[in-house]
Amino acid sequence: MASTIALRPCGDFKTSYGSDQIVFPTRLSLAFCIFGIVALCFAPLVLGKYGLSLLVQIGYLGIAALGLNILVGFTGQISIGHAVFFGFGAFASAYFSNKLNVPVFFAIPLAGLATTAVGLVFGIPAARLKGLYLAIATLAAQFILQDFFARAGWFTGGVAGTAAKSFSIFGHDVAGDYQYFYVVLVYVVLMYLAATNLMRTRDGRSLVAVRDHYLSAEMMGINLMKYRTMSFGLAAFYAGIGGALYAHYLGFVSVEGFDILFSIQFLAMIIIGGLGSIMGTLMGTTFMVLLPEVMGGLAKMLSGSAIDRMLSLSEGIVFLREMTIGAVIVLFLVFEPDGLAHRWRQIRAYWKLYPFSH
Amino acid sequence: MYVKRMRAGGVLAVGALLSLATTVVVAQGISIGHLADFSGPTADVGGPYGQGVADAIAYINKQGGVAGRKLEHETVDYSYQVPRAISTYKNWSGRVVAIQGWGTADTEALVGFVTKDKIPYFSASYAATLTDPAGGSKADKATPYNFFYGPSYSDAARGLVQWAADDWKRKGGQGKPKYVHMGANHPYPNSPKAAAEEYARELGFEVLPPIQFALTPGDYTAQCLTLRQSGAQYAYLGNTAGSNISILKACQTVGVQVQFLGNVWGMDENAMKAAGSAANNVVYPVRTSAIWTGKAPGMALMREISKMSDPSGTAYRASHYLAAVCATLYMKEAMEWAAANGGVTGENIRKGMYARQNWTPKGTEGVCKPSTWTAQDHRSLLQLDLYRAEVKDAPDAPIAELVAKGTIQMTRIATIDLPRKKEWLGW
Repeated sequence: MASTIALRPCGDFKTSYGSDQIVFPTRLSLAFCIFGIVALCFAPLVLGKYGLSLLVQIGYLGIAALGLNILVGFTGQISIGHAVFFGFGAFASAYFSNKLNVPVFFAIPLAGLATTAVGLVFGIPAARLKGLYLAIATLAAQFILQDFFARAGWFTGGVAGTAAKSFSIFGHDVAGDYQYFYVVLVYVVLMYLAATNLMRTRDGRSLVAVRDHYLSAEMMGINLMKYRTMSFGLAAFYAGIGGALYAHYLGFVSVEGFDILFSIQFLAMIIIGGLGSIMGTLMGTTFMVLLPEVMGGLAKMLSGSAIDRMLSLSEGIVFLREMTIGAVIVLFLVFEPDGLAHRWRQIRAYWKLYPFSH
Repeated sequence: MYVKRMRAGGVLAVGALLSLATTVVVAQGISIGHLADFSGPTADVGGPYGQGVADAIAYINKQGGVAGRKLEHETVDYSYQVPRAISTYKNWSGRVVAIQGWGTADTEALVGFVTKDKIPYFSASYAATLTDPAGGSKADKATPYNFFYGPSYSDAARGLVQWAADDWKRKGGQGKPKYVHMGANHPYPNSPKAAAEEYARELGFEVLPPIQFALTPGDYTAQCLTLRQSGAQYAYLGNTAGSNISILKACQTVGVQVQFLGNVWGMDENAMKAAGSAANNVVYPVRTSAIWTGKAPGMALMREISKMSDPSGTAYRASHYLAAVCATLYMKEAMEWAAANGGVTGENIRKGMYARQNWTPKGTEGVCKPSTWTAQDHRSLLQLDLYRAEVKDAPDAPIAELVAKGTIQMTRIATIDLPRKKEWLGW
């Protein structure tokens, strides 16, 4: 896991701690990042409703996935119940805005905090467990909260679900994908910056130390219990914010979406993107959101074609999509275990050193 | 040079004409949405229903569409997932004038959206909460744009309870009969629970605590043992056919002696074939006056519509297919009324639904039951035909053959007319 961070082209030496901590290694990379965000600001002008909805999806899922990456990739814990924290954030935000009349603008961060509290509660037993035992403990969170959603009618509307108000700012309703896109964009930038900076602080480095060797970390004076629990809280905070953004985007929250399959999807996002990589999280999320769409498009193209007739796929063609997604994930794990972030760095290094790489 | 320019001009003109022509064609169609469940937990009944809607639309288009305009529809399989239904709706909004929908949870989730956007929504969910267009009943909110063809789940369950009370008397039962609700913890099976239980108490039943089983097929032996232990005489099955088959089979194995009462989606010809003798004696309502083997005059049209996806005309269509065709044709005639009265908009389609009383779409006489929608009451149908399922031998042939041979039999055992009580509106 640690290899992804340590991977630097040869000859790239740091001479101070400050330069080791820098977010953007060159001025060009900073320019690229700013250019990317500015370009995204113009996305609603270019993209249709469909493309925009995909971007919004990448946004809120990316925030939640980043939380899981802090927990799994940076702290070395495991969680197979991330989806319920995402769901808790969604329900909490809807509850705050519907029942307590909190403006949606404030309900989203509040939902994040409420989810943090829940995450900390489930993090306490988890902080004492390791490996497979920890996985099962988080599985319990998945089942407990999912059942809670279905039964706590006062909070979630029970199995019938609950409506969520649209985002508003200064009395102006931010309805529709075109405007809501900017809300999600702002949150993505803030949350990703926050995570990047977290990893440069003492706390962030402690998390990494817990991951790399918990015994050494403890001997160096890092409180394992505190950092493991904190990591669960952080993961839940990110999931809660992501879920709240999702709730006000869709306008409705229902129990059924937050199942274990969704939790596994979050894991897939960060594994494909790269464990312990902040940028990789966004790449992995993009990959997982776009893959079904691309496969669906391919299946549509294939249906009725010569290949379809030859293999007599017809009705099976829709299932081809699901199978291909599974296959692509397996191939990824075999050929690119360090994730998209690693591949991206290699491509970058290739061009940087061209034609004298190695 | 001149020739070249002329040619370029010609190409441009032809291009402009073509693009004009395409825009005209696009403008001519009427856009509608169709949400179906072909792959989710209710796919067992969603399949025939969705096919019915698709075939009816194809048939309408073959006959020239609505007032000369073709229906342009997009069928989306949303797998019974509420979030998927909502994102699909968001994609449609602004384009479609009406929607043929499906499940209870998604229809209820969309109530706010369709009311705001004024899009008539014809659901295959018959939840009583969708029947109060004006508000003020026990339902949480007014649903002015929700329509469905058939008795509401609550009314159907009340009808079954009423039949059960008569049945108890007929058999000379002593003491208080016991009634139990069975189904998943999901908006659709939950929908009629309170209404039916209250009516059962009113009619002198002892109401037992509900027994839960999931919407998907599984091993429900434990539930059957609970049922046997409870000593219930009448059990209402709130799920769709697929999971009901599992529980019927499990209960047959365990040896439960209970009169099962099926929901409108709880039993059909396909389920009878799958469940075999376990389906014997299940009593359930059918929304149409005829089933596929019926001789009613409206069946000729149904067979024509069925040929849209089965040109040979040999397919057997389960009762849900007929209900789907009825629902689509009601929408079509309301659209025709709208076209003649100010244009096909959501608001006008809604008015079109109110334009007549006790009506059936043209050509469906004897199949679609005369229904009435008013601006105060969307309980379209209060009449209930109850059927009893009978399966002989081991059924392993095409359904058409099984029905023809009498291996699968559906016998109408009662017709119940429920009163249009004001206090029953909306729940």
